[in-house]
Amino acid sequence: MPLDTSAYSLALLRVDGRRWNELRRIHAQIRTQAAADGSSYLEMGHTKVMCVVTGPSEPGPKRGGMTGGVGGGGGERSSTADVSVSVVIAGFSSVDRKRRGRGDKRTLELQSTISSALAASLHTHLHPNSTIAISLHVLSQDGSLLAALINAATLACIDAGIPMTDYVVACTAGSTSTYAANDEGADPLLDMNHQEEQELPSLTVATLGSSDRVAVLVCESRVQVSRLEGMLAVGVDGCKQVREILDRVVREKGRRMIQEGTIEKGMSLDDMDID
Amino acid sequence: MASLKRSFDSDPLAANISSKVYVRSTKSGKVQKIVREVYLRQDIPCSSKLCKTCLATAPKTASGTPIPPVLSNAPAGTKNFPQGHYIVPDTNAFLTAMDLFEQDSAFYDVIVLQIVLEELRNRSLPLYNRLVSLTKSEDKRFYVFFNEFRLETHIPRLEGETVNDRNDRAVRKAVAWYGEHLARTKVKTIPAVVMLSNDRDNLRKAKAEGIHACSLAEYVKQLKGGERLLDMIPETEDGDVIKEKKPGQLLYPEYFTMSKMMTGVKSGLLHQGTFNVSPYNYLEGSIRVPAFPKALLVLGRENINRAVDGDLVVVEVLPKEQWKEPSTQVIEEETIAKNENPDADEGEDVISEKERKALQEEVKRTQSKTTEGHAQPTARVVGVIKRNWRQYVGHIDQSSVSQSGQQGRKQDSVFVIPMDKKIPKIRLRTRQVAELVGKRILVTIDAWDRGSRHPTGHFIRSLGELETKAAETEALLLEYDVQYRPFPKTVLDCLPKEGHDWKVPASTDDPGWRDRQDLRDLLICSIDPIGCQDIDDALHSRPLPNGNIEAGVHIADVSHFVRPNNAMDTEASIRGTTVYLVDKRIDMLPMLLGTDLCSLKPYVERYAFSVLWELTPDADIVNMRFTKSVIKSREAFSYEQAQLKVDDASQQDDLTKSIRTLMALSRKLKQKRMDAGALSLSSPEVKVQMESETSDPIDVKTKQHLDTMSLVEEFMLLANVSVARKIYEAFPQTALLRRHGAPPKTNFDELANQLRVKKGLELNVESSRALADSLDKCVDEKEPFFNTLIRIMATRCMMAAEYFCSGTQAYPEFRHYGLASEIYTHFTSPIRRYADLVAHRQLAAAIEYEAVHPSVRSRGRLEAVCKNINVRHRNAQLAGRASIAYYVGQALRGKATEEDGFVMKIFSNGFVVLVPRFGIESLIRLRDLAEPEPVASFDAETYTLRTSGSREVAVELFQKVRVRVTDQKDETTGKRGVKMEFIRAY
Ligand SMILES: [Zn+2]
Repeated sequence: MPLDTSAYSLALLRVDGRRWNELRRIHAQIRTQAAADGSSYLEMGHTKVMCVVTGPSEPGPKRGGMTGGVGGGGGERSSTADVSVSVVIAGFSSVDRKRRGRGDKRTLELQSTISSALAASLHTHLHPNSTIAISLHVLSQDGSLLAALINAATLACIDAGIPMTDYVVACTAGSTSTYAANDEGADPLLDMNHQEEQELPSLTVATLGSSDRVAVLVCESRVQVSRLEGMLAVGVDGCKQVREILDRVVREKGRRMIQEGTIEKGMSLDDMDID
Repeated sequence: MASLKRSFDSDPLAANISSKVYVRSTKSGKVQKIVREVYLRQDIPCSSKLCKTCLATAPKTASGTPIPPVLSNAPAGTKNFPQGHYIVPDTNAFLTAMDLFEQDSAFYDVIVLQIVLEELRNRSLPLYNRLVSLTKSEDKRFYVFFNEFRLETHIPRLEGETVNDRNDRAVRKAVAWYGEHLARTKVKTIPAVVMLSNDRDNLRKAKAEGIHACSLAEYVKQLKGGERLLDMIPETEDGDVIKEKKPGQLLYPEYFTMSKMMTGVKSGLLHQGTFNVSPYNYLEGSIRVPAFPKALLVLGRENINRAVDGDLVVVEVLPKEQWKEPSTQVIEEETIAKNENPDADEGEDVISEKERKALQEEVKRTQSKTTEGHAQPTARVVGVIKRNWRQYVGHIDQSSVSQSGQQGRKQDSVFVIPMDKKIPKIRLRTRQVAELVGKRILVTIDAWDRGSRHPTGHFIRSLGELETKAAETEALLLEYDVQYRPFPKTVLDCLPKEGHDWKVPASTDDPGWRDRQDLRDLLICSIDPIGCQDIDDALHSRPLPNGNIEAGVHIADVSHFVRPNNAMDTEASIRGTTVYLVDKRIDMLPMLLGTDLCSLKPYVERYAFSVLWELTPDADIVNMRFTKSVIKSREAFSYEQAQLKVDDASQQDDLTKSIRTLMALSRKLKQKRMDAGALSLSSPEVKVQMESETSDPIDVKTKQHLDTMSLVEEFMLLANVSVARKIYEAFPQTALLRRHGAPPKTNFDELANQLRVKKGLELNVESSRALADSLDKCVDEKEPFFNTLIRIMATRCMMAAEYFCSGTQAYPEFRHYGLASEIYTHFTSPIRRYADLVAHRQLAAAIEYEAVHPSVRSRGRLEAVCKNINVRHRNAQLAGRASIAYYVGQALRGKATEEDGFVMKIFSNGFVVLVPRFGIESLIRLRDLAEPEPVASFDAETYTLRTSGSREVAVELFQKVRVRVTDQKDETTGKRGVKMEFIRAY
C-alpha cells in the first residue's frame, strides 16, 4: 500500500504525485449516444460517470426511478420544466462493491443536489409543462463523485441543446491536515481523490461558469472555519479550470460535427456559441 | 455509438499518467483490488545543495514558501569514496539496522526513496515512524525522494517480475538517475551515490549496472571507527553466519499460517491474546483471552514456542489430561540454564535435562492430588500475530564468554541477560566482548527461528559500567521507555520570550487578565513534600458571614502557557508525565514553566485555575464554582512545617487558622469517603536519605504519614471529583476521566483462601465497602504490621486505574473503585501530568473561558492520548520504584543487618519475605538455607513448607521471620541484589 496523506509534508506531494493546486486528468466526451437527446461521458481521474438527457419532453406516463424534481409539481401543469435526476451507482464502481438500492439516502441526496444546481442555470421557464430527465450512471468511483456528476450533467444538457445561462462546473477542495491535527500551516488541496476524501476534510463547490457565483457548496467533514476560506478559494479557482476544459470539449465536438457534416452547412460555429 | 474507451493518445497529459494496482485483503478476509493513479512529473528536486537546476523548481507550499535543499554540498567521505557520498539504503537496510542510521557518528546525507518508505511502512510501523522522525531532524539530513512520481525514475512492473524484484530495480534506477543528474551539475567534486543493501542479488545486479553499491557490513568497515558499528548489523543478515539446519534439528514447532490462525480464532477454536510471563517462573506464561474468565496457562518452552512477554499471540487449548495447576516452584532462567553454551545450539533438545526434571516434579505433584478440580486449562502458542519486541537493557553473561572472545576481535557468541526477568536470554554475536563484559548494554531482538533455542539479537550501545549511577539510571529510563533527552529547540521556542522575567501583567487591562478573577488578597498557601519545586497546587479557606466556610483549591494555570498542538504540547503529550527517580526528575514540561512560571511559588503573583466551594462546617457542599484567577501564595510549607504550625497552639494568625479550618474539613471529607466505601490501600513506601554532597544514599526510612498530607489529599480529591462532574456535563462524549474498575472476584480467591486457612479470617469482596470493612478486620493482636501486609497483598489483586474518554464507557463503568467515587478525573497536577492539562482545557471550555480546541473534543484523538498516558503513567511508577530499589541496594552495600520480615508467598522450593523497613522483598530458596539443600515437604493446602535433613525449618505463610539482609553480587551474572538469609522463625 502506498503512503497516506500525512506524507504530504515530506515533499509537498500528494498520494498520487500531484501538487496542492493540480487537477487530476479530466477526460470528457459529448454525444456519446447518438440516439439520446443529449449524452456525455466524463472522467476525473478514476472517477468515471456517464449521463443521458431526455427532453425537454411532454410528461408521459411516470417513469420509474426519477426523483428529485425541482420546479413543476408532479402531474399538475406548471410554468417551468421539471428537472428530474436519477443517479445509478454501479456495484462494481467502488472497491467494496457494495450495491446501493434505489432508496439509498446518499443517492437521493446526490440527486436532489444535482437537480437544484442545474435548475439554477437551465432556462426551465422556456419549457413549461415538460420534463427534463437526467440519468446519470456511475461506473467507477475515486473521489469527487458529486463534482463529476454535475460536470457530466452540464455537458449532456449542452448536448441536448437545452438553453442555459452558463456551464455549471464543479470540483472539490480539501486541506492537507485533519481536523484534529489542526495544523495551522495546512495547505489547501484541489480535486480530492478517494483516499484523500477518506482521510482529510473536503468540500464540493460548483460555480456558474467562470463567475464567482457559487451554485453548490457541500461540506460534510469537520474543518476549522479559518481553513474554509482557503479551501473555497482553491475550489472556485478549480471550477474555472474545469470550465475551460469542458468548453474545449464542446467546441472541439462542434468543430468536428461541422467537418463531418452532421450540422447543416449554413450554420457557423458562432451560431452554436453559448457564451 | 462512440467508443467510451479512454483515449490516451489524444491527451497530452496521458504520457505522464500511470496507474498502480494493489491487492488488499480486508479484515473479513475479502480481497480487494485497488487501482490508483500516479501522476509523473519532472519537478521533484534531487535536493542536493550542489544542484542549481532543482533549486529553481523547488516545490512551494500554498503560501509560497519553497522547501530548501537538504543534502549537503560537501558530504562526508569514506575510504572508498573520498570525494564524499550520498547514501541510498534499500528497505532491508532500514528493517534490519535502523539503529545504525540513528547514530551520531555516521550516516548523514541519506536519500530515502519513496518506494523504500512505502515498503517499510507496510512491514513495520514503528520503524517507519522512526525513519520519518529522522527525515524531520535537521542535522541528520535525510531527504525523501519521491522516485515513484518522478518521470525518469518511475518504472512499470515487467511481466513475470515479482513485486520485490521490481522494487529493487526501482531503487537501482533511482541511484543511477541521481548519479547522472549530479554529474550534470558540473561541480568539481561530485559526490558518489551509494546504494546500501544486504540483498546479494540486488548488489550483484547493481555492480553489473555500474552503480556504487555496498552491503551494510562492507560500508560500515569503510567508516572511521566502523568496527564499533559492526555489531549493530544483525547477524542473520551476515551471509556467512546463517547455518543450514537439518529438519530434524528444529527445536520448536512451526507456526500456523496467518489465514489458518484467523479462521481458527473466528471459529472459536483458537484464541488470541497478549502473552505474559510469570515473574517467578520464566517457563510459565499466561494469556487472557476474551472467551474465558480466567487466564490460560502456557507451560514449558515448547508450548511457549518462542513467544516473548508482551507479544500478541494465538494459542490452542491443550487436551484436558494436560491441564495443570500453576507452578508452586520458583524457576529462574539464571540458575537452570546457567551453563548453556551460546555456540552449541544444534543437536540439543529444546528442553534441557534439568528443565525436564523440574517439569517431572511438577507433573508428579499435580498427579498426586486427588482433587481433580484444581487443574487449570493450559494452552500452547501456535503463532504470533504481532511481536512486541523493543530494545532491552541487560548485561553479558560472563559464564557464556569464551576465552578467545576475551582477547581477539573475532566475532563471538555470548548471552545477554536482560534486566527484565520476563525476557529470555538473548544470543548476541559481537566482536567487542572484552569491552562489553561488565557493562550495562542496550540490545534488541532480531529473530527467533525454530532452530535456535534462544532469540538472537544485536548490540546497540553501551550505557557504562555496571552499577555506576549514570549507567543504572539510564538503564532504568530506557527499560521503562522514559523520554529523557533534553527538550528540542522547537519545544523551547514555545516558551514565553521573557524567560524567568515573565510576570503577571501589572495592568488588569492586559489581555492576560481577561476573565480572570483577582484573588491576590486571599491568604493562600501551598503544602508539599520538602524541596518541592514544581508546586501544582495551593489552598485557602476563610469564614463566610453565614457561618459557612469558603474553601479554595488553586492549581497552576499550565494551559495558559502550553497551547494545544504546538511543539511543546506535542512533546508533553508524548512524555505524558514527569518521572520521579530518587535523585533525578525527568520533566514533562521545560524547567522554566515547571519550576518557575507555572509553579505557584510563594510571594509572587501567578496565574491559577481555581475551584471555590462554599462548605458547611460539616463539609457539605453548598455550591461551587470554577474560575481562572491570579493569586499570590503567602507561604510554601513542607508537610512537616505545616504540621508543626497547626499543632502549635500559640500560633493564632489568620493563615494558621485557615489551615486548621481546612484540616477540620478534610477529616470530615475523609470520613465521608470512608463511609462510602473508599479503600485505604498500602504499598511499602520508603524514602532514601542521601548524603547531600555526594548524593550517595546513607539510609533508608519508611515514610511517615502526617495529617497535613491527608489535608492536601482530601481537597485534591474533592477538586478532581468536582471538575470531573463539570467537564462530563459539558462534554458527555469527550470528557477525559479516570476510572478504577472493580476487580474480578477471582483475583481475590487465593488471598481469601490463604486468610481463611491461616488466620480464620473472611475476606468479603462483594463491594468496595465490604472489602474495606473486612480489610479493617484483618488484624493480628500481636502483630500490628499484619494489617498492612494484607493491604499490600490486596493492592496487588486490584485492577490498575486508567484514563479514558467518557464516550467509550457507560456511566456505571466510570466508577473509581478505590476512591468509591462515581466519577473522577485528574485536574490538580498539570505541571507533571498531561491528563490534568487536558482536563484544564476542557474545564476552561466548559466555563466558556475560551473556545473548545478541536484536539480536546476529537474522540479519536483523546482515545489515543489516554492510551499513551496510561502506559506512561504505569512506566513512571515502575521506574520510580525500580529507582528506589536500586538505591536501597546501594544504601545496604557493605552492611549486614538483621531485620524482621514477613512471608508473603510460599513455593515448594522457597518463599518470599518482605522486609517492611526497606520495603524490599526477596526470595529465599531451599538451597539458600543450607548446604547440601535440605529435603522439603510442601503442603499446598496449609501453605506450609517443612525441611529436614541438613536443616530443619518450618515456614508458613504470613509468618514473621528474622532475616539477615546483605547485599551481594552474583559473580556469574554480575548483578548486585539484596540477599536475605533466613535466621529463624518467630
Ligand atoms: Zn538536482
